Amino acid sequence: MSKRYYASRRAQQLRAKVIVSIILFSGSIILIMPLWWMISTSLKSMEEIMQYPPTFYPHKVYWRNYVEAWNAAPFTRYTFNTLIICFFSVVGSVLSNSFVGYGFAKIRFRGRETLMNVVLSTMIIPGFVTLIPTYVLFSKLGWVNTYLPLTVPSFFGSTFFIFMFRQFYMTIPNELVEAAMIDGANHFYIWFKLMLPLVKPVLATVAIFSFNGAWNDLLGPLLYINDEMKYTLQIGLQNFRGLVQTQWHYLMAASTLVLLPVLILFFAFQRYFIEGMNLTAGTKG
Amino acid sequence: MFKNKAIGLLMVLLLCLGLILTSCTGSKTQQPTQQQEKEQSTGEQAKEEQPKTETPKEKVTIEFWSFWGSVTRRPIIEKIISDFNGSQDRIQVKYTFVPWGDIWTKNLAAIAAGNPPDVIINDINTVAHRANQKQNTNLAPYLAKEKENIKDRFFPQLWEATLFNGEPYALPFNTDTRLLFWNKDHFAQVGLDPEKPPKTWAELEEYAKKLDVIENGKYKRIGFYPLWGAGVDLWLLNSDGKNFVDKEGNVYINTPEKVKALEWLVSWKNRLGEKNVNEFQAQFGSQQADPFISGKVSMIIQNMNFYTQLRDYGKNVKYGVTELPAMQEGSGHWSWGGGFVVEIPYGAKHPDEAYEFMKYLTDVDAQSYWAKWCLDMVANKEAANTPELQEIPVYKVAVENMKQTLITPVPLFAPDYMGNLVQPQFDAAMLGKVSPQDALAKAQKDVEDLIKSNKK
Amino acid sequence: MGYVFILPWIIGFISFVLGPLLFSLYGSFTNYNITSRMEFVGFDNYIRMFTRDPLFWKSLYNTAYYVVFMVPLTTVGAIVLSVLLNQKVPCTRVYRTIYYMPSVLSGVAVYMLWMQLLNPQSGLVNTALRLIGIEGPAWLFDPAWTKPAIIFMKMWSVGGGMLLYLANLQSIPTQLYESAELDGANAWHRFRFITLPMITPVIFFDVVTSLIGGFQIFQEGYVMSQNGDGGPMHSLLFYNLHMWNKAFEVFDMGYAMGMAWILFIIVMILTALNMKFSKHWVYYEGGDGR
Repeated sequence: MSKRYYASRRAQQLRAKVIVSIILFSGSIILIMPLWWMISTSLKSMEEIMQYPPTFYPHKVYWRNYVEAWNAAPFTRYTFNTLIICFFSVVGSVLSNSFVGYGFAKIRFRGRETLMNVVLSTMIIPGFVTLIPTYVLFSKLGWVNTYLPLTVPSFFGSTFFIFMFRQFYMTIPNELVEAAMIDGANHFYIWFKLMLPLVKPVLATVAIFSFNGAWNDLLGPLLYINDEMKYTLQIGLQNFRGLVQTQWHYLMAASTLVLLPVLILFFAFQRYFIEGMNLTAGTKG
Repeated sequence: MFKNKAIGLLMVLLLCLGLILTSCTGSKTQQPTQQQEKEQSTGEQAKEEQPKTETPKEKVTIEFWSFWGSVTRRPIIEKIISDFNGSQDRIQVKYTFVPWGDIWTKNLAAIAAGNPPDVIINDINTVAHRANQKQNTNLAPYLAKEKENIKDRFFPQLWEATLFNGEPYALPFNTDTRLLFWNKDHFAQVGLDPEKPPKTWAELEEYAKKLDVIENGKYKRIGFYPLWGAGVDLWLLNSDGKNFVDKEGNVYINTPEKVKALEWLVSWKNRLGEKNVNEFQAQFGSQQADPFISGKVSMIIQNMNFYTQLRDYGKNVKYGVTELPAMQEGSGHWSWGGGFVVEIPYGAKHPDEAYEFMKYLTDVDAQSYWAKWCLDMVANKEAANTPELQEIPVYKVAVENMKQTLITPVPLFAPDYMGNLVQPQFDAAMLGKVSPQDALAKAQKDVEDLIKSNKK
Repeated sequence: MGYVFILPWIIGFISFVLGPLLFSLYGSFTNYNITSRMEFVGFDNYIRMFTRDPLFWKSLYNTAYYVVFMVPLTTVGAIVLSVLLNQKVPCTRVYRTIYYMPSVLSGVAVYMLWMQLLNPQSGLVNTALRLIGIEGPAWLFDPAWTKPAIIFMKMWSVGGGMLLYLANLQSIPTQLYESAELDGANAWHRFRFITLPMITPVIFFDVVTSLIGGFQIFQEGYVMSQNGDGGPMHSLLFYNLHMWNKAFEVFDMGYAMGMAWILFIIVMILTALNMKFSKHWVYYEGGDGR
């Protein structure tokens, strides 16, 4: 009886897996279309891109588009510049937000709710209207044409991530903190040794989000950087957009090259989700 | 654990790299100043040796921003700048590419913070509008000192567009004009004279119908559709040659000619069918596939520098180019153009040197060089008429067309009337939601009301 | 002690955020034009907004329309996707990367791509619809369908939200499922009684932030409508787009700042309501009951 039960259950699970696989597969075909379109455009000649109706795949493949696009502007330089900004943004975001979020989630103090509401409300004001005064402020500090306006603020927490950390901390039982307090641990210790390992998947998520944010940011570097040698990849991509004619083959080739590191990074970072799971399973709440 | 270490190592490595790089940038940014100092001192020494060099003024580096960054345009402007830098030894121009669109936002922020560039390329239609907000610098004092009448360099309508309270706040740099391109092979196929383009709207329509190719109820080729490559506003301007709002604030939207023009556009859409129009329109919207180059459309209105695309990507298209057809004989072949100016943002550190550079940029040498390589209509009349350029058929037609090309500077008392009040009425009429008469009557009234309330 | 932890935020807030924020509040009572003018005009901007600017209402309507559909759709979409991607099927890592990809792809090129995909005749979307016998709408050409098109586009990039839920799902102790399975709970029951309650804090986070983000939609309307004038019959003139045009096209910055603060009040009220209701459905394992 129990043998048959398990056998049928296994069949059921297998069936579920097959269905899920089919759904995921067909969905990913749709999602991969844009990437396909990007890559195929990046390998076409301009003559072919102008064809109507558009061709589905390049009839003649131009690999040299990639080389030409990369050499059209100092992209290697831009890559390093972007990486520097990304590095500091990620470190700043992960550290400061996990820290501040802990304060909002696990420590009681007067005015906590009010302050949390203030945090949230700063997210609501559209950035355009503070763009000019913020620029003037950084300009007065002498930070224009440096990476400071793009990196320093991330060390002081950002609303979105603080809120996110708070929500995740809130899912962790308070008894854990209380027990550690009884053992004589202070909040810094609890945050660093106890909480951070528990919210590893969140750390990874924040790292990915802030990396992407910095990697894809166009307006920030564009506003604050005046020296072309300090430009970033996203500004570099704008080189191909012309008023008369956009050089689609170059734009797509360079965009593909800019996209790839992000995808690779994401692919690699997924390990942390899996690790996170094992850890929670191990601590047994 | 091992993997964690690897990541840590990678991070440290990156950090080191970052530090090296930042230190590199540091030294690099310092270099020019050191060099400058050196040059300056050697320059001074040279002066002592050679007494003929005049005015031992300080060397000045001026900042110049524009959105020309592509491999086709950037080398041209850089060549012009290096020519200028070489032509004298006092002013050095430092060029910075700032992406299209965002360049204005950046400029505005920089003006507000008091550190704008010295020279910037900006839109021609909003010069007075910016002057009104104190975003650019009055050039009248500089022009007064000139022996040459700078005004005479430019096509008159472009010069007009730079004036605020009668004084110029920018110098025109380039412009463009809309022309009719037609496919000669298609003309020959259907028995039309390949050398005789349509001259009136009636002819245009007649030819277009002949050029349509329909197979199994589907359009394989469309002879012409007025709103590909052009807007409703162009045809309305073409009908009577009257700007929608003039300098005094008079509104000419609901004129009999413009109503007729809008009706004509609607009837054209109805004839071809909404679906067919959208299908092709979407292709133009994607800015990639080009139905004219692909031979799916036989005639099209395009900016004059569409020529460069035909030259580079449409080698086997045999085409002709001419002025826009007139609504009827004698009503005028009115066309429309936009363009850019050079100006000094308000609060720039070196306006005198900036003006010197602007003068150079709009002079014959720089302008004809720009025209030769970018095939833009340049603002300088003499440059546009150089024999070398006149040999290019499109360019010759375009220069001719400048006589009937309107520029539409935004009126000071209603800078956003077009997008806010008029365009949606055009849309509504084209979608068949209101009649053309009602649409234009409403637009006319709304704009009049707006101007009245703003003029107070 | 709590203050020590939130100190970084307080410092950052006071030095980088508060000043510009107060400036914009004051600016909303002036005729500030960024470069040369800033005279006090009282409530003039606000009065103008409510009585003499029909586009203010139009843009508010467009934005609300977008938010009403986008928030629930993307939330449900992200949850479903994350649950699917949390299954142990072959190649999950590849799938996760693919599904996450759209949220990294950005820039004008993506919008250009969408214009092609949404081509009423030859676009992929309508071609697919035709296969199942539906004649698709004209999408970006028909004022009635422009906003659904944008929402549809947004659905495509739920990968970001998916990531959040995935992180959350991964932290649900597996024993909970194991014991439920032993009790004979089926997949739906497991989702309904274990997964769903455990992810409510993140759902709450997602709803709040996408509501706030939804009201700030800008880029899509700006690019898809070409030149930022708001698409056919202003059907894509979103609130922030109107504000942008006021601020940077006509330099009526004081007015734009006023608009920003009206938006602030609207979204603040909605968020407060959200917070209030959250007590009834958000389950915090480590919450302190409040």
